[in-house]
Amino acid sequence: MNINDALTTIFLAGLQLIAFVAFAPFLTATIRRTKARLQSRRGPGLLQPYRDLAKWWGKLPLESSASGPVARYAPAFVLGSIVAAVLLVPWATARTPLPGWGDLLVLVGLFALARFALALAALDTGSAFGGMGSSRDVAISALAEPGLVMALAGVAIAAGTSDLGAISAFGIGHGVGLLKPAHLLEMAAFALVVIAETGHHPVDNPDTHLELTMIHEGMLIEASGRSLATLVFASELKLAVLAALFSAAFLPFGAATEIAPLPIAFGLIVGLGKMLVVGQALALLDGSLAKARIMSLPDLLGLASLLALSGLGIQVLLP
Amino acid sequence: MTVLPSEVDPLVIVTPDTASGAGFLPGLWVAAVALFLLAAVAAFGPNRNRISALLSTAGSLCALALGVYLLAGGAALSGSGGDVLGFSPIAFRYDGLSGVFLVAFGASAAAASFSIVDEPARSRPEASAFPLFLASILLVLGASTAFSFLIAWESMALLSAFLVVGLRPTRAVVSAGNLYLAMTHVATAAILIGFGLLAAGSGGSLDFAAWHVAAPSLDPLTRNLVLVLVFVGFATKAGAMPFHSWLPRAHPVAPSHVSAVMSGAMIKCGIYGMVRLMIDVVGGTPDWLALLILGIGAVSAVMGVLYAVMQHDIKRLLAYHSIENIGIILIGLGSSLLLASHGSTALAAVALTAALFHSINHAVFKTLLFLCAGAVIRATGLHDLNHLGGLGRKMPVTMVAFGIGAAAISGLPPLNGFASEWLTFQGLFGAAGAGGGFPFARFAAALAIGALALTTALAVACFVKATGVAFLGLPRSKKAAEAHETSVPALAAISLLAAACLGLGLAAGFVTTSLAATVRTVLSADPTAASAAGSAAVTSGPRDGGAATYAALAVGLLLLVAIAVISIATMARVQARRVDTWACGIEPKPAFQYTATAYAKPIRLFFRRVLVPEREVRVEYQPGTAFLASIHYRSEITLLLEDRVLKPAHRLSLRGADFVRKLQGGAIQLYVAYIVVAVIALMLWAR
Repeated sequence: MNINDALTTIFLAGLQLIAFVAFAPFLTATIRRTKARLQSRRGPGLLQPYRDLAKWWGKLPLESSASGPVARYAPAFVLGSIVAAVLLVPWATARTPLPGWGDLLVLVGLFALARFALALAALDTGSAFGGMGSSRDVAISALAEPGLVMALAGVAIAAGTSDLGAISAFGIGHGVGLLKPAHLLEMAAFALVVIAETGHHPVDNPDTHLELTMIHEGMLIEASGRSLATLVFASELKLAVLAALFSAAFLPFGAATEIAPLPIAFGLIVGLGKMLVVGQALALLDGSLAKARIMSLPDLLGLASLLALSGLGIQVLLP
Repeated sequence: MTVLPSEVDPLVIVTPDTASGAGFLPGLWVAAVALFLLAAVAAFGPNRNRISALLSTAGSLCALALGVYLLAGGAALSGSGGDVLGFSPIAFRYDGLSGVFLVAFGASAAAASFSIVDEPARSRPEASAFPLFLASILLVLGASTAFSFLIAWESMALLSAFLVVGLRPTRAVVSAGNLYLAMTHVATAAILIGFGLLAAGSGGSLDFAAWHVAAPSLDPLTRNLVLVLVFVGFATKAGAMPFHSWLPRAHPVAPSHVSAVMSGAMIKCGIYGMVRLMIDVVGGTPDWLALLILGIGAVSAVMGVLYAVMQHDIKRLLAYHSIENIGIILIGLGSSLLLASHGSTALAAVALTAALFHSINHAVFKTLLFLCAGAVIRATGLHDLNHLGGLGRKMPVTMVAFGIGAAAISGLPPLNGFASEWLTFQGLFGAAGAGGGFPFARFAAALAIGALALTTALAVACFVKATGVAFLGLPRSKKAAEAHETSVPALAAISLLAAACLGLGLAAGFVTTSLAATVRTVLSADPTAASAAGSAAVTSGPRDGGAATYAALAVGLLLLVAIAVISIATMARVQARRVDTWACGIEPKPAFQYTATAYAKPIRLFFRRVLVPEREVRVEYQPGTAFLASIHYRSEITLLLEDRVLKPAHRLSLRGADFVRKLQGGAIQLYVAYIVVAVIALMLWAR
């Protein structure tokens, strides 16, 4: 790798990290705003998530007398793996910010690491709510995982590689021709999985604090101060990464295929726009669907797996 | 291969294949065997455990060194010795493939042996059998004739059965041991018949090398029969479904260091046998058998982990995870066979690398987890997760080591389990894509992708449960509250294994490169085809060009740096205030916590179609009042194979035996009548 390439990589990685870190809370704010409007409320301002994070960051933390190092260090593992994921997903450009480092399976693995750390931390405080959230979260993720991986496997097999940069470039190269039935089925499956992974209706309610319905919030119930800020920020960032992954794998159009100021700027704007659209779709779901009973989730996520398998099946049986 | 005339010497003579620079190899092998034998003797001497355990640790380290050398491309080691009754020479040959499994065996056995240095053995014969068991595995991995293989194989089976049962077993232990003995002998019988067919097909030779030469000229029916028999035999030893019933029963009753080696190394001998016999010696596995292996792998993986989530006995939980991991290895093996037979050599190499790498990885983290489980059981006397909790405070090193092992077996980056599962996925992507040949095979590979994804996610659930319920929160019993950290040698063993999980994960690129030569030899592929550019690869650093890459070292360092920076940022603060956990305004109690059974409930209900859970709640009141006297809660799942297939079949066979017994009345006249009828029938038939 020559010095020019190295500088390009550092620039793109830095740009992506700064953009995601700066933009992720705003994405959450737009979702809350739309949800509030759908419920005939005004809703908090668009800067509220930033204010929340700053407030928690400065607060005196409370630690459970039952908990130990796991609860203390888990937030760093959660955010650390999501930050690593940010750098492995193509967004403004068709190439990944760190090209050749990891593929879509590495992203899936990083999400699993974050889930593992958070679910463990929730058990460290000895709280029933932590256990409840943790056990539901890992169970729902287990239901979602086959759909997630099979949907991504579909685009990987079509592109002949699981490298996300190559997948994006392949998609852009095919234009509208990319949107074959198999591709659309896999896209639908992935969309269902995104709902589960980000904890929106009908799987989870991101705003609930009613004990018996919490999943993600249940795991955060004993977190406070900087730990809480870290975990909430990590979940906001994860939403942004999943939105970017969705667009990179299924609708990569608009991302820059060459490294030049104008295409990158255009890719940046399109990338932000796609994220906002994904966010608004989730807000629409939050506002229009009730949260489903937990026992009906296998149907929903089974549907995701089935859609992904149908897409994959069409692809491998009728290449 | 050096074949010595059998009259030369009745002793085993070991000579390296090529003499150049490998003079110490026979020495290593002899040292390993000698140390194991000495350890077996030392178990009867004074200070029995310490010396015996140290000697077998040294022997295992010799085996590990031998494995590393062979894996790094060293010359093969072979030797043969005295004829047995003028029948067949005892011959051994260790090559790169043996090296892979020697590494797995050496790491597992060294750690397990060292962990018992300060622990009293159950009895002297058991302490003595353990090093002999280790020696038998060492011999299995190098045997190059049917005779030596079967002797080593059978010693391994009998010694492990003795170690499981022990000298003073309870009724339950005897029943587990009997099941294990029966199944392992069914396995040996299948292998024996397979060997017999091969020997018949190669003019009576018992030499693997002669079989390899004769294999292409076998008629397809015989060859397929051999392959199926050998597969069934080795799959039973490996514990793949549906041949797994012995495994979850034998492990919980065996001492932990024995379970560790059985799970880490012994069941791998089944995988070794498959690769050795099916790919290396015979070859030409038909597509339907490759698909069957893929299917058995997928079913073992999903059902293994699903049953594991349902367990609350920590060792049975780990035993079911062995079934899961054998399943993952078989997925790699099956897709490799499929890809190889359809000309995708590069991808077949990826899938086989995945299977071999996962074998090593599983040896490391499963030994680690079993040794940690042993530490917990010694510290508390409890097997049941539901009575544990809060052990992390008393056993911090064990907690961290178990946590690392849990993350590794769950396939989380940057640990070793992730790297091999990544490769397994890449093999499947290849088989579902262009490499898989005909459409049905490609669809099967697509299904296996979903199965493997489900497996990894359920493994995360299971190990969050095991780690969290055992080590975190508040202690659920007095014994758990009074736990203490385990002995120093055991801590050293688990710490080193935990470091190996991280080390093998970060150095995954290096490991896969070291495996490449062996994989090429096994697939008999020419070097250019197997390392074709553009194929998926685990590397150390980033690799350009759009091919699937997992830059293990780079991603690992990125992750560790990110975690470190965020830790420092979040920790730089005033001392946190300690408060009680929120329990809606009342004092938090250990009973409020989720137990292992409660934690698994969502999964139990989500997968109720296959788990068929049963629940019984019995509430008793004090007589004449509305006050509670007691509540009994029982929750069980149905094991589909055992409860719905094997048990009815067992009953049916007993009924059949009853019927046959009626024929056998005991009266001599009756038997004479039978003979007369038989003779008349024969005469009529032969007329």
